[in-house]
Amino acid sequence: MATIAGTGTRPTAARRPQRPTNGLGQAGKYLLLILFLIVFLVPLIWVLLSAFKAAPEITRNPFGLPAVWRWENFAEAWSVGRFDRFLGNSVIYTAAIVAGVVALSTFAGYALAMLPLPGRDGLLVLFLLGLMVPFQSFMIPLYYLLRDIHLLETYWAFILPGIAFRLPFGIFLMRGFFRGLPSELGDAARVDGANEWQTFRQVILPLAAPGLAAQVIFQFVWAWREFLMPLVFVQTEALRPVSTGIMFFFGRFTAQRDLIAAGVTIAMIPMVVIYLLLQRRFIEGITAGALKS
Amino acid sequence: MTQSWQRSRAAVLFMLPALALYLVFMVWPFLQSFWFALTDWNGATATKTFVGLANFAELAGDGLFRLALRNNLVWVVVGTAAPLAIGMVLALLLWNRPKGFTLFRTIFFLPHILLTVVIGIIWSWIYNPIFGILNIWLDGIGLGQVSRGWLGDPDVALYAVLIAAIWAEVGFVFVILLAGLQNVSRDLLEAATIDGANGWQRFKDVTVPQLANVLNVVTALLLIGGFNVFDIIFVMTQGGPANATQTMATMTYDAAFTLNRVGYGSAISLVMTAISLVASVVFLRLRERGEG
Repeated sequence: MATIAGTGTRPTAARRPQRPTNGLGQAGKYLLLILFLIVFLVPLIWVLLSAFKAAPEITRNPFGLPAVWRWENFAEAWSVGRFDRFLGNSVIYTAAIVAGVVALSTFAGYALAMLPLPGRDGLLVLFLLGLMVPFQSFMIPLYYLLRDIHLLETYWAFILPGIAFRLPFGIFLMRGFFRGLPSELGDAARVDGANEWQTFRQVILPLAAPGLAAQVIFQFVWAWREFLMPLVFVQTEALRPVSTGIMFFFGRFTAQRDLIAAGVTIAMIPMVVIYLLLQRRFIEGITAGALKS
Repeated sequence: MTQSWQRSRAAVLFMLPALALYLVFMVWPFLQSFWFALTDWNGATATKTFVGLANFAELAGDGLFRLALRNNLVWVVVGTAAPLAIGMVLALLLWNRPKGFTLFRTIFFLPHILLTVVIGIIWSWIYNPIFGILNIWLDGIGLGQVSRGWLGDPDVALYAVLIAAIWAEVGFVFVILLAGLQNVSRDLLEAATIDGANGWQRFKDVTVPQLANVLNVVTALLLIGGFNVFDIIFVMTQGGPANATQTMATMTYDAAFTLNRVGYGSAISLVMTAISLVASVVFLRLRERGEG
């Protein structure tokens, strides 16, 4: 497995020998970088500006600043789009799924990596399979299972399968992390009479903090963006997360482009703000997660 | 009570909650898929009629499934190669942390965190025949004759959606390759330069081999994603126009939840799963052999 110990730390001057750079190459490089910057940013800025315009102005003057900054677009989109409801639901789903995955996969990863777990190799294969199969491979029977146990169209219909689906990744991430710790770590505590839970809580868990941080970020992005699972299991409008809820709002107001643009902006804002505030942790978490598991 | 017995018991208790949830909500329904696929169940009747391999036989002769499979193959090839190539270029450009590094990295990764519906709406707007900026831009550079309703044209709709997906995916590939590059030895590159290797040779023979692990992981992820793609297509075209953007995943959804053909939908989902599993395993095996 690739180790990425160097991800978070800035390379020292010694690791970064300054190559003799010619001005032309440097200019070409920045030209390319700025071109990509435009490709990634212009669509977002276009929609953001459109959100402040009246509908006809979006067509007439796509790139200009709004003649009048219509903040009221957001208020209207917020209420007709039921964003209070959808964003609130997303917070509930995301918090529950992230908490569930993080807790359960930390326990399971610890058992797999540092404790004498009976049947360990079989379990590893079982979870590896879960890492490789798509959601669709169990989506249809799961729909009917949830229906039969009366969880369909409740919050649980997304929360419980949402946790189960992301557990294999979470477990491998935490297992990989715990394997990096010395295996005799808990022994001193055990000799001192701590039971297994105390050993885990007081000795192991504090050392797992970096692994947990990567886990939280990965699971948070996944849970917030999850689409097909809530699309199928919670169709009741009042229970939808923002990822599916806004689709129906957009479908209903296609012609009112000012409202759509404001809605898109509202839907983007929570995640974008969190990302911009924590961008380094985000990127470190995502890379660590992708490469370690 | 011996201490090792205590530790084994603790291990089981630590494992149990995750295992229980996993077995009930994933393993059990996964196994049920195989049974569902052998029936013609419509989701409503109390009993499921066993039809043997009839669903799979029908699938083999289903023209729509062939079209979906072809679309998945296009998606896998282009949707893997393009993010890898673009992500690699971006990672190489930012490798030695030039001025503005954080700004560039932040923006390049940004699309990856957006909701699929948001990406879908933004790109549907870009492609819109009336006010979309793509047609406006094409007019501006004198290519007005190629402008069209990109998502409404069966010949180009798949590629139009694919470009939106690539736009959103590149940042993810880029940050992982960038992290991988941190472990590539600069000394080896210097040595190769002194030995007279040009830029492309250094990249191909020195950088890429050292990135092999990272490239394998990213490629496998993209491959699996390509065979399973659903969200962005469902949001932008729902498989249309005229089925031009159907994939195995959108067919599964339609069969099971629109047409009430639960058995047939299960069969499609299993074939899709098998193909993506086989493809990723074969890919990783080939890579191992290539390096061994």
